Order: sequence, then C-alpha cells, then structure tokens
Amino acid sequence: MYTPVPHQYRKVRLDPSDLIVLGLFIFLIYGSVITAERWHAELQPSVSISLSTGSLALYSVYSLFRAVIAYILSLAFTLVFGYLAGKFKAAEQAILPMLDIGQSIPVLGFLPGLVLGLMALFPHNNLGLELACILMIFTGQVWNMTFSFYSSIKSVPKHFHELSDNIQLSFMQRLLYVELPYSSSGLAWNSLMSMAGGWFFLTVCEAFTLGDKEFRLPGLGSYMAIAIEKGETGAMIQGVIAMIILIVGMDFMIWRPIIAWTRRFRLDEQQDDPQEIPFFQLLLKDSKILRLIQSLTQALWHADAVKKRKSLEEQDSSKISLRRLQRNWHLQVSHFLKHHKYAQSFISKLTYAVLGFMGVWISAKVYNFLHPLNISDYLLIAKSSLITFIRVIFTLVISTLWTVPFGLWVGLSQKRTQIFQPFIQVAASFPAPMLYPIALAILGFFSIGIGMGSAILMLLGVQWYVLFNVLAGTTMISRELQDTFRIAGLSKRDTWLNLYLPSIFPSLVTGWVTAAGGAWNASIVAEYILYRGNLLKASGLGALISDATAHGNYALLAGSLLAMVIVVVGFNRMVWHKLYQLVERRFKFER
Amino acid sequence: MNTPQPSSTPPLMELRNIYQTFKLDSGRKIKVLQDINLSVNDAEVLVLLGPSGSGKSTCLRVLAGLLEPSQGKVLLNDQKLVGANQNIALVFQSFALLPWLNVADNVAMGIKPQALPPDEVSKRVKRAIDLVGLEGFEEAYPKELSGGMKQRVGFARALVMERPILCLDEPFSALDVLTAETLRKEVLNLWLSKQTSIRSIVLITHNISEAVSMGGRILVMGSNPGQIRYSIKNDLPYPRDEKNAAFKSLVESIHDLLTEAIIPDTPDWIPPALAANTIESLPHVSLTEVVGFLDLLLQEGGRADAFGLAQKLMKDSLNVLIMAKAAELLDFVDTPKNQVVLTDLGKTFIKSDINLRKKMIHERMMQLKLIQLFYQNLLNHEDLAISKEDAIQSIHEWLPNENPEEVFDTVVQWARFGELFGYNDDTQQVYIDRGEA
Repeated sequence: MYTPVPHQYRKVRLDPSDLIVLGLFIFLIYGSVITAERWHAELQPSVSISLSTGSLALYSVYSLFRAVIAYILSLAFTLVFGYLAGKFKAAEQAILPMLDIGQSIPVLGFLPGLVLGLMALFPHNNLGLELACILMIFTGQVWNMTFSFYSSIKSVPKHFHELSDNIQLSFMQRLLYVELPYSSSGLAWNSLMSMAGGWFFLTVCEAFTLGDKEFRLPGLGSYMAIAIEKGETGAMIQGVIAMIILIVGMDFMIWRPIIAWTRRFRLDEQQDDPQEIPFFQLLLKDSKILRLIQSLTQALWHADAVKKRKSLEEQDSSKISLRRLQRNWHLQVSHFLKHHKYAQSFISKLTYAVLGFMGVWISAKVYNFLHPLNISDYLLIAKSSLITFIRVIFTLVISTLWTVPFGLWVGLSQKRTQIFQPFIQVAASFPAPMLYPIALAILGFFSIGIGMGSAILMLLGVQWYVLFNVLAGTTMISRELQDTFRIAGLSKRDTWLNLYLPSIFPSLVTGWVTAAGGAWNASIVAEYILYRGNLLKASGLGALISDATAHGNYALLAGSLLAMVIVVVGFNRMVWHKLYQLVERRFKFER
Repeated sequence: MNTPQPSSTPPLMELRNIYQTFKLDSGRKIKVLQDINLSVNDAEVLVLLGPSGSGKSTCLRVLAGLLEPSQGKVLLNDQKLVGANQNIALVFQSFALLPWLNVADNVAMGIKPQALPPDEVSKRVKRAIDLVGLEGFEEAYPKELSGGMKQRVGFARALVMERPILCLDEPFSALDVLTAETLRKEVLNLWLSKQTSIRSIVLITHNISEAVSMGGRILVMGSNPGQIRYSIKNDLPYPRDEKNAAFKSLVESIHDLLTEAIIPDTPDWIPPALAANTIESLPHVSLTEVVGFLDLLLQEGGRADAFGLAQKLMKDSLNVLIMAKAAELLDFVDTPKNQVVLTDLGKTFIKSDINLRKKMIHERMMQLKLIQLFYQNLLNHEDLAISKEDAIQSIHEWLPNENPEEVFDTVVQWARFGELFGYNDDTQQVYIDRGEA
C-alpha cells in the first residue's frame, strides 16, 4: 500500500550506509559500461592476459558480469520452461527429457556450436564471442534451477489452486501471489548452487582452443588458465583470492539476504526459531537512498493500479467478467481442452510428433557427424568411457567414506554446524579447477600419475555435493529415536547402522546422483590439463572430449559426447531411479 | 430428487443429472457421483450430509465450477455455468491461507482481481475483519493464529468477496469441539442478520448435529457411487438448542436413516441365485478400532445405540456406524434398528486372548465372498502369490464402484490381522505362507 514519504526523510542527510549503497550503484554502472564497451569493441578473439594485480581486478569485474548475465538468462529460462513443464502435461513430456539430456552434456559439447554460430552472427565485434561465453556459463547454471522450479510448481497444494479459481485470480496474480512465493525458497537455494556451477567451468569458458584457433576473453578464468599454464605461483594465489572474494562477497551481499527473505514464504507454518537478520541487511537498514527507491516504486505501483481500475470501470460489468475470463487464458485453455477431448489428444499427438521429428532430425545430424568414425574410434570411446566410469565410481566411494562420518559428526551438533557451515559453503562454491595446480603439486610430490591423479582432481570438485546432502540428511534424524537408542543402551555401532545411516540414506542418494553427474562433467577438465607448459592428459572420456575440441575433430567430439549422454542418462534411469524408488518406499520418514 | 420450492423465487443454482467419474492413477475409472439433482434456493442453508466417499466434496466443487462434471448440467440463474462460479465464495477445511501474507492481506486476496482503489480495499477488508471478530489481528501472520482464528480469516476472505452463495467445505472439522460450536453460531448469526451479501449457504459435513443445527434442508448422501438418498426439511426456529426435544428427535431420525443406509436392517431382497454372486466390500476401518468398539459395547452390557456409542467413543457417529458395519460383516454384532447388539460369537471373541481372536477373525473372514475370491485367486497361482497390481485389477472387476486401491489396503490390513495371507511391500506381492496353505 502507498505511504507518502515521511517528512524526516525529505531532508537529505546521508547515512554511512548510503555510502555503501552509492558505492554499489557506481560499481554497477562501471561494470555495465566496461562490459558494453567490450561488446562493442572490434573483434579480438584472443586477448593477451596480463598477470598484474590491477588487471586481475578488471578481469574479475568482467567475469562477474558474465556470470550475472548468465544467471539472469538462467532465471528467465527457468521461469518459462519450469512453469510450462509444471503446468502442461504435453510441455512436461517435451521439457523433462530435454533437461535430463542438457544436464548431462558437458560445457564443451555446447562450445563449438555456440562459438562458431555466434561469431558468424557478429563477425566484427566481440559480442558474438562474449555471448558464446555467457551461454556456456549459462549451461552450467540453468538445469537444477529449472528442475527445482518445475517441481515446486507441480507441488503447489491443491487448495491453493481451488482458492485462486474461486477468487478468479488472473494468470499474473496467481504467479505473483501464489506460485512464485511458494517456489521462491527452493529457487533461492538452487540459485546459489547454480552460481557455483557456473563458476566451475570459468577457466574453460574464457580460454579455449577450437581446432587451430585459440580464444581468450579477458576474465578471471583466463587469468587462472594462463597462470596455471605458465606455472606462476604468485598469480595463481592472487587468482584464488580474487575468486574467494567474489564468492564470499556475493554470498554476503546477495544470497544470504535473499535466502533469509524467502524464508517467510515457506509453507511449514511452524513458529520459526529466532531469525537472524543477515548482517548486510542490517548494514543497509538506515539507508535513505533505498527508502527513497522503495517509496518511488510504491508510488508507481499505486499509479498503475489506478490506471487499471479506470480501464475496468469504463466497461460495464458483464464485459468485465468476460474480460476476466479472457485474461485467465490458462483457465480458458484447460476449459477448452476438457471439453474437446480430441484437441487434447491432438496436442499430445502433436507433441509426440514434434519430439519424434526432432529426434529423427538430431539422430540424422549425429549420424552425419559420426559418419567419419571407424570401428577403432568406437572402441576408443568405449574404453575411455569405461575408464572414466571407474574414476566416477572411485570419487563416489571416497566422497562417501569421508563425508558420511564427517557430515554426521558436524550435523549432530548444533554448535559444530554453525562453525563449519560457512566454510563448507565457500569450499563447495569454489571452482575446483582453480585448485588443480596446488593439487597437482601435491600429487607430484607423492609421484602419483595423472591417471590416478585425475580421479583425485574430480573428487576435489564433487565431494561437496555429497557432504552437503549428508548434512541436510542429519536434520532428518529424529530426536525421539536418538533418545530411544540411548535409553535402550544400544551400542555406537547399532546406532550408526540402524539409525544414522538409514536416516541420511535418502539425502545420500540425492548427493550421489548430483556428484556422479558432476564427476562426469568434471572429467573434461580433470583429465586434460595445461600445467607449466605441459599437457597432462589421462586416458578417459573427458580427455577424449577435450582433445577432440582442441583439435577440431568434431566427429570424435560428437561420438564421445553421445557416449557421455547415454552413460549419464542411462545410469540415472537405471540405477539412480531404482534407488530413489527404494528410498521412497523404505527410508522416508512420514511427517 | 426435486424438492418443492419454499418460495416463489427461482433457485440461485441448480445441478441437473450430474454424473462424475474420476480416473485413478492406474488409469481405472470409478464413478463418484451418480445422477445428482439439487437446487440451492434463495435464503436457505442447504446441507450435504454423508460419510466419506459419498461425493459431497465433489458436489461442492462442481457447484463452485472448479470441476467439470462428466455429464449433466450446472445452472446458474438458469444459464449454463462456464468456468469458475462467480457467485460462490468458498471456505476450506484446510483454511487455505497464504502463509506469506498477514491477516489483512489474506483477506484482501479475495478482492484482488477487482483492482479497487486502495482505500476502498481497506474499507471492505476492515469490515470483513470486523464481522468475523478479528480486529487487532490484521498484522498477524497465519502461523501466529490458532485454528479457530485461521478459519475466521477464511470466512473474512469469503465475506469480502460479497458473493451471494457461501460454500463451506467441512469448515469446522479441523477445529476443536468448543471452537467449532462458537464459530458455527457466529456464522449462522451473520447469515440471519443479513448484514452481508450472503443469501444462501451450502454446507458440507459428516456431522449430524452440525447439519441439524444449521441446515434448513438436509440432503443425505450415500456412497459407492455418491448419490442423494433423502432430502429432509428442517423448520426448527433459529437459534436451535441441541437439548431441545424436537432437535434431538430430528438428529435421531437422520441417524436412523444413515444407519439404515450403511447397515441395512432388511437388505433389499435379492434372489438366492444372485445372492451367492453379490460381493460385499470391506468397510475402510482398521480392525484394532473394531476391537475397541466391541470392547466398549461389552462394557455397555452388550447392547447400545450407535448414537450413544459415538458420544462415548468421542467419534463421529458416521464413523461408529461404519465400525458397526465391519463388526456385523464378521457376525460379531447384530444391528436391529439403530441398536448394536453383541452376538454370542462377538462375546466369545472379545473375551478371548489375542491368538484366539486372530483365529476367529481368520474363520469369519473366510466366509466373506470377497475374501474367498481373493483366496481362490491366490490358490490358482502355483507360487501362491500375486502382484499388487493384479490384485487391484481383480478387485476393480469385482467391485467396479469402489476405489480398488483403498479396498486392497483394507483387505491386506484385515488379512494380516487374521493371518490369512501376507503382503510384502518390497516385492509388491500378496502371498499365502506355504506353511499355512
């Protein structure tokens, strides 16, 4: 509701918090300007990267803006496709497999198409190359957000739909007052995860070789790539620090306030435990600039409502109800479909036909791509897949072995959770490839080869998914059961086997699924590294993909990508899906 | 069933020959409503009373335009209803409050689509909040309110919409007895005082005395498939006193009607040849509850009326009737009129220990046609096991009007008690233990 600006705020006397707000504004404008300048500048496929601290700061701003633009695209994609999939059965049938496959294609799978296509579209300036880079980051962010939004939309309780129908909320009102608030909490958490996912391949997205051409965009990722390639330890450390500042800064200024804010939209109506207000929000509490903006937007909102009402008043009431029905186009659509069964079956048939057609078309394309491959290539792909598969399993086993005891140790104590949570969060968001040089140095010290070493590098990135989920799982361990076990005097071993492990098992399975997908993807950077001027290459599917990209061998790239999609999606369907069903039946606590 | 119009004014709404079938997840269809005819007249409280599964909530959703009937007409002021009904304001059993909005904003949601000027909105919201007695709670969030207060918000949101028909979907059944009683009276007073836009109320309930205390016309519904069995006029003057003799006798006679519907005294005469083929379903109750019910009956001297038992058990009388039906199926009770009488078998049963009880249940269950068919089905398989899916399919064929999944659950639960056969949830198989077969 509109409230006039209270008198005391009309005197402009800036508070210290206003300086922070002003600083943020200036930063925002500065970043936008240099980003726009870069887009407009004449095409320069490979900039030379300076390893100085000053350049690093500039590069970080470039990378931050790329990631944020990619995130905005991801959010838009999520809102459109997640919503459609959640609302319409035909859309669901088309979108879910698309997400499944998209998720399993590593970033290099999108790289050649995006880069060549967009550069052909914008041959004279950097826009095409920049867009390609942003879209590659996008492919690392978008999938889990869309999945989360889709499942939230699907799980909006039935009585909220009935209420909205009864009140006759318009499509927008439904979205704004019911569906978005309901999904916001899950979306905020997944945004945080997605941002981390986007950073993961930054080194690949900003610096890559395609055939005989080298591409390098000014950014933190290419800075790290060059520092690693040259073996400049000082620069590497600077880069790691810059990355940590970006991650912690965004966590502090964006994600924490947003997640705290979405807490109010959670459906469980329990009296919340005393909520801590994020520090950054406290810091800005007194800002007069923010209040001014708030009042202005409210005034605009109010003016809009007045306009809308006038237009409603001008029509007579019978037209209003008709108009309202027209506004509720989705009601009309479902009403129409209910009454016209043939239309419904026509739409689903059409969807299948389009899907089938696309399937055939893509198969033909893929077949064309694969045509030059001979039997020995296929054998190589199969062998590499098997080797990487063994590495993936290895990472899962090792992750589970250490994260389950550690996660339980932390999660079972409120105090330890508070101490460790922030560190784990930063560690999990940190793009592991930037730590590879340190890990490689240690591996070198123990004279571990790249074959084994790449599995350890993969582990570096994906173990956090398992740990996160184990931590989430510990909250599911019932207090009453813990007390019962203690009173019954059951041994530590019995408590672990019969209470702790079964309780966290559902979360653990989720952790495994995420980690396995992540490990397959990570193999393309872990099995193929430029380090101190040397190329470290393990045999495996990831190395095969990276190698094929670097040499512009698109037939081999298509073949190995296809193998990865088949293995990941197949494994999801056959193993993880079964495990999920088992979990649903046996291990879920009824709440 | 067409009831005579109380006045010359035309009905506000009508349902004509409504049929509704639902598709279960498995793709099977069940019929939930059969040939429903009803009218919502001007200035009345219409009650739809029935046990669960009688389709009363489905009826309400058809009235509100939330559900398209599979067959039949919904008429609003003699015109066919299209889309959601704009003359109905709904109040939900689960309150359906948005937890992220405070009381005032939740109420204001009711008039959101009308884009009224802010001062008009706050005026109407304030009035609605005053009417339900929520002054002072405008800023509170739903999680800070008790169940009764939450439902007041639900009522305020319905009132603010200023629609002529108020539809109440078991609005008091999630509340404790005293709160429900208070709220019922207040809603009636609001309606009687004519301070609001509400011309008529449609109430869904399974509580007989609630129906009698509020309803001007009570439609008694029966299950499988849902249908209107009786229409009862209730001219008792408001406010109605539950201790009043006329009130009591109306409650009792409705109770008798329901008893007759659920546990018929004289079953409709069926030719002997057909009787052997009539399959009776199992009532959806747990046997442990039935044992408790029989225990209480024994304490009452082996004979009591179902209505009194309901009060002793602090249960809904419809629930108790269904328990009586289950006990009667097992021959543990007789139900002459609205009385429930323990049989000799029942007495022996209740005095036995758990193992003997199990044995008796086993024997009695084997007399039931449904169980016999089920058992025969198992014996026909060499490994003495069938999948859940197949079992449900057979049940659907035997009892086309019942929800086969629900019947399956009950059969399994009873069979486990009587140790007839087992069910393994991991393999999803029903099986006979070889040792027993």
